[in-house]
Amino acid sequence: MIALLRVAKFVVSLCSLLFIVSFLPGQSVYSQDTASSVNNLPPITVKAYDTENDAGSSITVEWSDPGYWRREGFNGYRLSRKNVASGIEDSLDVLPTGHVLHEDRSVSDDSSYTYTLAVLINGANLTSTSTEVVRSSKQWFDNRLTWVLILGLIICGAVIYFIESAKRGTKLFLRRIAGLEAIDEAVGRATEMGRPILFIAGIQDMDDVQTIAGLTILGSIARTVAEYDTKINMPVCTSLVMTAARETIKHAYVTAGRPDAYNDDMVRYVTNEQFGFVAAVDGIMVRERPAACFLLGAFFAESLIMAETGNSIGAIQVAGTAMPAQLPFFVAACDYTLIGEELFAASAYLSGEPRQLGSLKGADVGKAIAMIVILVGVIATTIASAWNSESMLWIENLLRQMFSTG
Amino acid sequence: MDGAVIGIWLAALLTLGIMSFVYRDNLYYKICEAIFIGISAGYWFITFFWDSLYRIAWIGIVHEGRYVLLGGVILGAMMLMRLFGKIGWIARWPLAFIVGATAGLKMMVYFTTNAMAQIHDTVYDTVTAFSGGDLYNLIGRLVILLGTVTGLIYFYFSKEHKGIFGGVAKVGTWFLMITFGASFGYTVMSRMSLLLGRIEFLLTDWLKLVK
Amino acid sequence: MKHQIPMLILSAVGTLLVVSVFVPSAQHWGEDATLYFDIIAVFAFFLGGGNLIRVHTEKVSHKSAGWIYSVVTLLGFGIMLVTGLFKIGNPNGIAGDLSKSGSYFQLLFQYVMSPLNSTMYALLAFYVASASYRAFRAKNTEATILLVAAFVILLGRTALGVLLTNWIPAQLSVLQIPNLAIWIMNAPNLAGQRAIMIGISLGVISMSLRLLLGIERTYLGGDS
Repeated sequence: MIALLRVAKFVVSLCSLLFIVSFLPGQSVYSQDTASSVNNLPPITVKAYDTENDAGSSITVEWSDPGYWRREGFNGYRLSRKNVASGIEDSLDVLPTGHVLHEDRSVSDDSSYTYTLAVLINGANLTSTSTEVVRSSKQWFDNRLTWVLILGLIICGAVIYFIESAKRGTKLFLRRIAGLEAIDEAVGRATEMGRPILFIAGIQDMDDVQTIAGLTILGSIARTVAEYDTKINMPVCTSLVMTAARETIKHAYVTAGRPDAYNDDMVRYVTNEQFGFVAAVDGIMVRERPAACFLLGAFFAESLIMAETGNSIGAIQVAGTAMPAQLPFFVAACDYTLIGEELFAASAYLSGEPRQLGSLKGADVGKAIAMIVILVGVIATTIASAWNSESMLWIENLLRQMFSTG
Repeated sequence: MDGAVIGIWLAALLTLGIMSFVYRDNLYYKICEAIFIGISAGYWFITFFWDSLYRIAWIGIVHEGRYVLLGGVILGAMMLMRLFGKIGWIARWPLAFIVGATAGLKMMVYFTTNAMAQIHDTVYDTVTAFSGGDLYNLIGRLVILLGTVTGLIYFYFSKEHKGIFGGVAKVGTWFLMITFGASFGYTVMSRMSLLLGRIEFLLTDWLKLVK
Repeated sequence: MKHQIPMLILSAVGTLLVVSVFVPSAQHWGEDATLYFDIIAVFAFFLGGGNLIRVHTEKVSHKSAGWIYSVVTLLGFGIMLVTGLFKIGNPNGIAGDLSKSGSYFQLLFQYVMSPLNSTMYALLAFYVASASYRAFRAKNTEATILLVAAFVILLGRTALGVLLTNWIPAQLSVLQIPNLAIWIMNAPNLAGQRAIMIGISLGVISMSLRLLLGIERTYLGGDS
């Protein structure tokens, strides 16, 4: 009984002690506890290797600290580098706790180096043994992008295959796109009413692929405009777009056999400022009252202002953009909207040229691949996680590797 | 009257001028529009001049010795050939450079950040929901899966939207409409706050009616 | 010469930049191309600015309708050019940073351009109201779906949404409007966004290839 009481007393005392200790500052308790436990730690291991997937002049040094960082008085790691040929030794940065890797970007591809790592602890610095001799080099291919290359080649290959097969005369079917079939109707209406048409290629410059898509559609519209002898008015917000739009319209007029009807003033620069441009376009819309407005390109918040003003003057409006956030406003305010990909497909569709149509068929292959991958991926990974199926796990890992872009 | 007061009066008058367009096009708006075009075009020219021509080209080439930028200057100078009728076609060269660069760069950016990343996320969002999430989460992820696939079918060009395929594409259209509705609803409130901001400026900074 | 060289430049530059993505030592080419673009854009601005001056000067000289507004535009453009090029009123003179407050250029930006910008942006409130009115007159299934989604999201972001459905028991809390709004944003909305984004990227690839292969060349004046 007495023995039992003693044991109980001991347990209670121990619990009380632990309870009190738990209120002490965490760091000191931890340090005291660990300081003694790291006295006999194995030496720190360091390895150095040529940094992968880089343009050279970089060596990565990696180390694993068995626990020195927990020691009281730990001040960090100091990395030293020795040039094997010259014997010159350089002391590199002092790296604080948490670092287990350092990329040395001050090396030359022509020299070889060894590295040592010193653990800085008050009073005594523990230095590792030298790494093996290492030399940096440049790689010609970024291995992380292997799957991007393979998948890119498959999709580009499909596009090119269908372009070539269309060139050889294979008939390709393409469904109708409502917004594009309305273009002739809109230009015809403008001609009947004796009013101009207004074309806005977005508010971005030529470094946006949507602007280029807008200009390619402009080519088809301008040809119809030239044939119908309608007036086209195109205010632009960047000078490069002005230059490209002039080339496009001029080409359309030449193609339509009416080069003399072309005039540089059909396209005019307004301002690069987003809302300054909108103020001007709104003014043009209410004063010139175009019968048709084409808003095709990259748009931001101004999309709704333009589309609503165009709507208020009763113009037929065909809009298209690849800015997902602006699509709802075009859908609400315009007669026809080209949604995302339809903007890029439009010029090919309008041209009716087999090679261009072939490229759309190629993009459809990409969509089919995307759908198959998504479905197979979901099924495979779900089975893999539910039943631990090895083959499905393999598919899961493969897909993870393929589509991981980070 | 100090400069700041004049500035606030000017800003207030311009604010009212632009707002007057909501009623109808008028002389006041036309003046504000003309000021806006002139001032903003000048602003951007100056910004381009100092930021790109001076800081990137001049400092880069002359002071930092980055002679690779000379290529940009040469292409830029070619652009000005448009001013000379007979050799105006040379301006197509820098244009070709820009279009080529845009096509090359954007093709890769869109492929990795849009296509690959979205496919990856669609697969793994669904799987995560299957393996650990609750029923509510699972239904949500299955809806994402269904919406993404049917939405892609809507964008399929080389098959007529008829029969089962047409039905599936129709479901895709509904998903797109939900997306547009959601974006629309999400934006309405933020647009209202912009107007409140201007009204606040007029009442607080200009008329001093609100402190 | 007039058409082959631009096509050659386009294809070569585009192809090189695609390849550069995969070659570590060439991965900075994309940034260099962007710098080139910035420089070309400044030179191009001489054409745009020149066009602006010419159009408005012609209007003034011909006394065309609204010529007085062209005078205002030309004055605004000129004042900005002079104050910005010579950095008039800049605390640190011509060598100082243009963004320093106190310069006439910055004052014009602060008291003229900025309020004009903000007000034009604020007009969106009126336009969003009229667009909502139109969108909310559901004419068919698609428009009804858009309407319902927009309405739920709109309500879900306001106190009214909470008030209307806070009687729904906790077990069915998913049906409370704020939660429903979150679910719509995170599930069907996300699905639509993904389909659009994947479609866009494939559209960009197909169009880029048409450009690089020289099939699409209208913006370069085609074959004319």
